[in-house]
Amino acid sequence: MTNDLSQGVPARHARRSGGAHAASARQVTSQLSASLPVLEVDDVPQQMGKPVITFDHVTKIYPAQPNNPALDDISLQIYAGEFVFLVGHSGSGKSTFIRMLTREIKPTQGHIYVADEDLGSMRNWRVPYLRRNIGCVFQDFKLLPNKTVFENVAFALEVIGKNRHVIKTQVPEVLRLVGLQDKLGKLPDQLSGGEQQRVSIARAIVNRPPMLICDEPTGNLDPQTSRGIMDLLERINRTGTTVLVATHDREMVDNMRRRVIALDRGHLTRDQDRGVYGFDA
Amino acid sequence: MRSLIYFLRESVKGFSRNLSTALGSIVTIFLSLLIIGIFLMGGIVIENIVSSVESEVSITAYIADEASEADISKTKSFIEGLEGVASVGFTTKDQALENFRNSMTSNPEIIDQLDGENPLPASIDVELSDPQLVEQVAASIESNSTFASICDNPSDPSESLKYGQKTVEKLFSLTSYIRYIGIALVALLIFIAMVFINNTIRLAILARRKEIAIMRLVGASNGFIRGPFLMEGALHALIGSLLSVGALELLRRFALPQLQNALTWLPIDIGGSIMAMIYVALIVAGLVIGLIGSAFAMGRYLKV
Repeated sequence: MTNDLSQGVPARHARRSGGAHAASARQVTSQLSASLPVLEVDDVPQQMGKPVITFDHVTKIYPAQPNNPALDDISLQIYAGEFVFLVGHSGSGKSTFIRMLTREIKPTQGHIYVADEDLGSMRNWRVPYLRRNIGCVFQDFKLLPNKTVFENVAFALEVIGKNRHVIKTQVPEVLRLVGLQDKLGKLPDQLSGGEQQRVSIARAIVNRPPMLICDEPTGNLDPQTSRGIMDLLERINRTGTTVLVATHDREMVDNMRRRVIALDRGHLTRDQDRGVYGFDA
Repeated sequence: MRSLIYFLRESVKGFSRNLSTALGSIVTIFLSLLIIGIFLMGGIVIENIVSSVESEVSITAYIADEASEADISKTKSFIEGLEGVASVGFTTKDQALENFRNSMTSNPEIIDQLDGENPLPASIDVELSDPQLVEQVAASIESNSTFASICDNPSDPSESLKYGQKTVEKLFSLTSYIRYIGIALVALLIFIAMVFINNTIRLAILARRKEIAIMRLVGASNGFIRGPFLMEGALHALIGSLLSVGALELLRRFALPQLQNALTWLPIDIGGSIMAMIYVALIVAGLVIGLIGSAFAMGRYLKV
């Protein structure tokens, strides 16, 4: 399945050194990052800067399938300011990977560190504060149908206790960034799929999280609209936000030539800079 | 503070969203608190009656005509030393006749037929501070040897003792009976009210599950997600308990005086300060029921 052994030019490092302005939450070097074994897959990303996400021999076994781990002994690091594609077939463990990052589920074995905090031992009451630092975008947008575009984005700030002044300045600003400044008063139903996904991205980044995680963000969109969404994600990435995109979209991955992490039935099969989708269609 | 206002706004919205279930939980809370309140009021009325009967609980010990002054005072001081005795008095034969004559004013000829003789015995009158001890005190008096020698009927001293034993016993068993029934009924009603609140909050949670999912996604704190539901449960309970307080106040204003007029010999009146305490207790109880009910629903249907 993974036959791209020759890819990988470490141009990413140059880019990252420029991205030193990447947002907060990575003050201390993980003690783990030094002791982690070097990845045995493909071209190994060299450690530059500090990892914001570290998977340390992570295994997830769902109780329903005890013999078939959803993720099996995954170790990897993602650095501040990176743009990473997470690819794999359905059931390869992409969603498990993402849900563990937001600590909806805990690993069965191993440790996950986000900004040097071990999610396994994180207290429950701290989880919301973790999630404020991770924006999430989904295939089905998850917008509230009875709220306008403005209200949908404002909702994300309201419920974490931001005051009205912050909401009034940040929401229009972020909607301008995603190109929806003219549609503040529209309901989600009145927007196209691509526009709805932009609202959902706006909601994910309105609190300026240092990390943005997208689960199949273009799964419901046509190729051209997808391209627009990807451009937007790239622009967000250029402001220093770490972006992780789980996707099936072969064309997009091949075009963008970013770091690709490939999962296959729970195993990490490939991790390369400037990679391609790599699976047979 | 701002989030409190937010919770309040959201819980009021929840009101219109599930009007029928909201009304259901309000009405059950109202009814259960109303019945609790009626039982409390009834309990106080019975307490009043019992204490008025209790204050009349006394033991009369009849003394033989030929008893000596010394023996009488010896017996009196013995009785005074007993536990539960408030005061000891003495009624002479003449006073006894006088009392009898006063109670027989409607047909004085009975007295005239006595032909100047006085068949009534003198008596020692014992007032009790604790009516529950009436039997114990009576038994002590009965087994006292001095009393046995001077009592009106020396062959059986217990015949010379008279007290309202049966009345008091009946009253006590009645009140404890009513108390048990009341507690059982109230427990049942509280349970039903909690089930209703639980159901209302469950529906409110289901109606808002999309919002809740997004709130969790963007990192709203657990307290912030739970707040509106707790507030909604508390609000329903508060409305229900205020309604029941209003209904009880109406009862007190209009139904109690009617009852008092019908049953003039019973002291039914309930003091305003006691009613105020009952009202406060009912409102607090309502809030606790509402909060527990919604907390229970959240534990089951709202994973945060």
